Amino acid sequence: MNDAIRMQLSAFVDGELPDNEAEMLLRRMSQDVELRQEVAEYMALSRVIRGELGVAGADRLYERVAAAIDDRPAADMENDGHVAVSRSVKPLLGFAVAASVALLAIFGLQQSNSVVEPEQNVETEVVAVPDIDAQLEQRRQFFRNHAKASSQLGASGLSSRLVTLRFSAAVGDESEVDKDSKEDKESQVDDAASIDAINNTDEASSQP
Amino acid sequence: MTALTRQISAGSTLAVSLTLWAAIAAADDEPSDWLNRMGAAVQSTSYEGTVIRIHDGVAEALKIVHSVEDGVVREKVVAQEGNGLEIIRNGNKVHNILPDRRSVLVEEWDDHSTLFSTLPSSEIRFGNQYDVAIVRKDRVAGREALNLAIRQHDEYRYGHRIWLDIETGFPLQTQLIGEDGSVIEQFKFADIEINQEIQASALTSSYSTDQFTWFTESAGHLTTDIDTRWSSDQLPDGFRAVSTHEEKMQGSDEMMTHILFSDGLANVSVFIAANSGKMITGPARVGGSNSYCVEYDEFEITAIGEVPAITVLQIATTMQQR
Repeated sequence: MNDAIRMQLSAFVDGELPDNEAEMLLRRMSQDVELRQEVAEYMALSRVIRGELGVAGADRLYERVAAAIDDRPAADMENDGHVAVSRSVKPLLGFAVAASVALLAIFGLQQSNSVVEPEQNVETEVVAVPDIDAQLEQRRQFFRNHAKASSQLGASGLSSRLVTLRFSAAVGDESEVDKDSKEDKESQVDDAASIDAINNTDEASSQP
Repeated sequence: MTALTRQISAGSTLAVSLTLWAAIAAADDEPSDWLNRMGAAVQSTSYEGTVIRIHDGVAEALKIVHSVEDGVVREKVVAQEGNGLEIIRNGNKVHNILPDRRSVLVEEWDDHSTLFSTLPSSEIRFGNQYDVAIVRKDRVAGREALNLAIRQHDEYRYGHRIWLDIETGFPLQTQLIGEDGSVIEQFKFADIEINQEIQASALTSSYSTDQFTWFTESAGHLTTDIDTRWSSDQLPDGFRAVSTHEEKMQGSDEMMTHILFSDGLANVSVFIAANSGKMITGPARVGGSNSYCVEYDEFEITAIGEVPAITVLQIATTMQQR
């Protein structure tokens, strides 16, 4: 990346890039992963310079942990064709635990970096707290239930859905699984040739 | 055509454009009109494009195809970073496809849009907590846009800036603004096509999921409307309780009280449960959402919402039984 691009990124992050140039930069960002990351790092740096310790880097931490999860032997993750429930559940349990660790890492970092000074003693050594999966699952449900209640109200922040998305993507908790419907689905899924077919089977299996 | 004729022609075009813009602005010069147009556009507009989301030092791209036909939403969202999460939506039925896990998580969503789950409307009683103003005409994703600002009056809530497509009212860019004016979170379309014909094939999954393992979120959490003795006499200005439920969390037999506070735009949920001694107390944050958990006698109190950290701290630590 040359100095001209760096200067352009710096100006963009500071909100000083002319609209037409910002427009072009956004278009490039939509196509270029490295450029997006570069912008993100400039933004994080900018926040640090402004004294906003915040949670910069938390999501990259999540990605690193998620990457570590991905490094597990592929055999642990694969379902080789039509499998029994007992086999398919096992690797996902492992995933759920690992993903919960990733979320814990995020929350742990955010707690220790928070700019808010709590009035009472706050437990920051969250790693030592037992039954951490249940705690993270509970917090995930808090976010979900809050998003649901907010949307029923008809107005809320613009980001609640994507918060829910991130949690949904990160946690595949076995406790959430309706085993009966999963068995139904696994028995039906072989016949599903498209997402529409899957939608239909899902609707069928959810009928009383 | 001579150069002079071309200049006159160009000048005429500019004049017509300005006149048209003035006519549009005059017809809908109230911010509330634009908020109404936005609300209608989010529910009825079909579009295809790339959104850049920037937050917490991370920039990520999402490819989105969104179709509304006879009131039924069909949508495909593909994360361009990370694990390649793909979301396929058909009405309220949503499949979160995680290709690296060979898994599909099935959920039901009851709103109209993945990106914009809820948006401020003109019906919101902003009270004295916010001002809404049209800032300027702008340009986003190659389209004419109107920049709307919802400015907060204190540090207990975020402000918003929204760029609306002048032709359709569709939000092309949104920003969540902190008390110091910094952008906490931003969505911006890098490119977008609005109300163009969308092929059915563009809305199907890129993956063959018939060998994937499927997970189904349990049916919605059980809730019952209740009266509660819980309240706070130190709520930030403008916040009031708008609903109170008793609900059972998934995977638990324990009931907890859920109170939703709102200032008309920002919402904060407070969850009160029996103290298990296992909760992670203190603050936490995801994107623009903050939470704060505190132990109080035999209870655990968690406040959560799309508000600054100080707001959930104040609400969580001042809840008490009357």
